[in-house]
Amino acid sequence: MSGLRNKYIQRSISVIILIFLWEILYKLQMFPVQLFPSTTQIIKALVEDLMAGKLLVQIGHSLLLIIVALVMGFIIALFLSYVGYLSKSISVLLDTLIAILDPLPGVAILPLVILWIGIGEKAILFIMLHSIIWPMVISIQTGMNNIDKVYIESAKTNSITHWQLFWCILFPLSLPQIMAGLKIGWSRSWRALISTEMIFGAIGSLGGIGWYLFEKRTFMNTPGMFAGLIVIIIISIFIEDVAFVKMDAWIKEKL
Amino acid sequence: MKGFKAVIIISFMMLIFSSCTKKNGEETLFIAEQYGLAYAPLQIMKEKQILEALLPNTKIEWVTLSNTTSIREAMLSENVDVGFMGIPPFIIGLDNGMDWKIMSGLSKNPSGLVTYDKNIKTLADFTSADKIALPQPGSIQHILLAMACEKQFGEADRLDHLLVAMKHPDAYQSLESQSTIKAHFASPPYLFDELNNADNHLILSGEEAFGEDFTFIVGVCGREFYNNKKQYEAVNEGLKQAITYMKQNEAEAIALLSTSYSIDELLLKEYLTQEGMIYSQEVEGLERFVDFMLRNEYIKNDYQLDDLIWE
Repeated sequence: MSGLRNKYIQRSISVIILIFLWEILYKLQMFPVQLFPSTTQIIKALVEDLMAGKLLVQIGHSLLLIIVALVMGFIIALFLSYVGYLSKSISVLLDTLIAILDPLPGVAILPLVILWIGIGEKAILFIMLHSIIWPMVISIQTGMNNIDKVYIESAKTNSITHWQLFWCILFPLSLPQIMAGLKIGWSRSWRALISTEMIFGAIGSLGGIGWYLFEKRTFMNTPGMFAGLIVIIIISIFIEDVAFVKMDAWIKEKL
Repeated sequence: MKGFKAVIIISFMMLIFSSCTKKNGEETLFIAEQYGLAYAPLQIMKEKQILEALLPNTKIEWVTLSNTTSIREAMLSENVDVGFMGIPPFIIGLDNGMDWKIMSGLSKNPSGLVTYDKNIKTLADFTSADKIALPQPGSIQHILLAMACEKQFGEADRLDHLLVAMKHPDAYQSLESQSTIKAHFASPPYLFDELNNADNHLILSGEEAFGEDFTFIVGVCGREFYNNKKQYEAVNEGLKQAITYMKQNEAEAIALLSTSYSIDELLLKEYLTQEGMIYSQEVEGLERFVDFMLRNEYIKNDYQLDDLIWE
């Protein structure tokens, strides 16, 4: 625990130093204020937008989309991995699909998605799913394939059902890799979401955090742009350093 | 030791940042424009090398960017001297502290909101499932739509939740395929092409939204360029020559433009002779844009004509 606290203290000091350097650069007036706003302007823009409420709704909207994508992607990835685990030929097919599709950036298929699905949340969701399913499958497959064969064999001699094999053996024993897959899925979907929203401005009724950034840019609100970046950074840190750390600890305890 | 490191880091950062803004020593004039018929006189200037004749020892660089925000950002970082854009994005820049003003008008042209949906006859017929494509929030098309909404509903942002940011060619394609995009706020030539399709109809014209004639595209430059009288005067003179040339040598101008836009000559002639296609250095409608944008909090300060136009 003290290690963790140390980490937070170190990070806080680094952040303070960064803010301090930023303010010095601002005070030197080397760049126009439209390019380089002061930290107070940025914080003011952030607080104002948070108080107005719309930004909160946009953050919620983005996070909701990510959760939907993660849950759907996770279920699909688990299913694909399990089917691949059971059948050699499906596994080969899956490997080929992954080799073809995984390197394809989500943004690259955006024009195609627009033609097929149109614009809006469904399109964003599709691109997010594409971004997360393949790395998740790779990770889950690694987990399942690394399980000691002794467990599987002894289970099979006990004439175990498919569901039992999956739920009681494969799933729990590959949990660390599944978690790793979830982490990759999270960061991939986060990036896919923000870039699609920004490039295309494809929006729902209010849009998400990417649209917020885009709007700030078109109205030349530089402090607002930085405020959006801060929101993105804070959410990322929260998910990665708090949510995932907690989940990891919980899994270790259970195992 | 720590202090020493900090000094190194800061000076390194300064080095990086300062090298970004380094300006070219030799005389170069950077002009930024966008796609579309509204920019035709600039094309003539380019083709006829008008500026090259007026400024013999200067290299003229033309940059075509796909949206106003990029032009504004390029001008802010001092990579572009003169930029051509709609009036609202210019006012937004001014309101955010950019030291720039309008040097000349360029064109007036028709614009309008086009849909393929027979059921949409007025702005009130849009449902929350429909989407309206326009280049960007804060663009002249967005402000015109907001003006019409203010008139009709008393609420300028009434339809903002339907907006989708799309370039004109993409929006044109989307409208043609009659998919998710219900309507497009178009400018020429896309406006004319869309209206030539019998499936489409006009819901609102830019003129109706604004209430009178207004300048669509203006040329803008910063104070530094304004003080560089030689280049400033040359650009103004060049615009004048290009516009006069288009009026006096219509056939030749159309032939020139038809090659550079790869549009058929007859079609282009039809486009350019449409009602409302006017190229002129006059600037109209500034006060109304400022009033509207101030009233609806798109900008924070009020501006008089002197704040908006050089001289």
